Amino acid sequence: MEKKNGKFFDRMKSNEYYIKWLKNPFTYIVAAVLLSLFQIVTLAVSKNPWGVSGVFAVWGAWIYEAVGGSVDKWYYFASSGAQATLEGGLLNHADSWRNLGIIFGALAATLLASGFKIKKIKSKKQVIAAALGGLLMGYGARIAFGCNIGALYSGIASLSLSGWVFAIGMFAGAVVGSKLLVKYFM
Amino acid sequence: MKEVMLDCLGEACPIPLVKAENKLKELEIGDMLIVQIDHSCAMKNVPEWARKEGYNVEVEEVDDGEWEVIIEKTK
Repeated sequence: MEKKNGKFFDRMKSNEYYIKWLKNPFTYIVAAVLLSLFQIVTLAVSKNPWGVSGVFAVWGAWIYEAVGGSVDKWYYFASSGAQATLEGGLLNHADSWRNLGIIFGALAATLLASGFKIKKIKSKKQVIAAALGGLLMGYGARIAFGCNIGALYSGIASLSLSGWVFAIGMFAGAVVGSKLLVKYFM
Repeated sequence: MKEVMLDCLGEACPIPLVKAENKLKELEIGDMLIVQIDHSCAMKNVPEWARKEGYNVEVEEVDDGEWEVIIEKTK
């Protein structure tokens, strides 16, 4: 019995269901169907369409308030809805839990596939590009009132024209971004 | 017939794919290109591209979260 247990993980590695469900990534179609189903569940349960990046603005505001700042006068948080969210705290903020779920779900998935690795930073260029890219994406998503999830995906899913406008802008941005990437990162 | 290593460890998509495409262009028919990656989405798109091009492809998991995509330039 002892011996058998010792080999459990070795046996699991070659188990066809382990390989199929946990080791290999899902196909794009499976992932797309799952995303569509879960965004419907999200809309039905929380009464809000799926969004991701708005949460980071709320987290930022909480951190800023925790160190003594105040966002009461900020236009972005001026609405009563935004104020209620900030006052409600993390426990009552469904969107925060969903984002935490994405982060810990991704960790769980990579651990189950035994693909976890802390990657080396290769160059200073990578750090600058990551920081700059993050800032631009975060800032852009806030002034556009949504990112590729909230504004694009949820926008189009709720038959809003704004989602398609966002798609055109994002496509043009992606073309320019790819050109810059190839020029500066190859 | 030579073997060329392409170090893409620490690089995120789509850099490994573009690097592999460029490198393969420099190689002769019959050469092997070994792309080292640690980004799981490159583990999907690099072999996918190479197979679509009609090359022989093998993916080897060398460590946790680290793979080698071995591409034989067959044509």
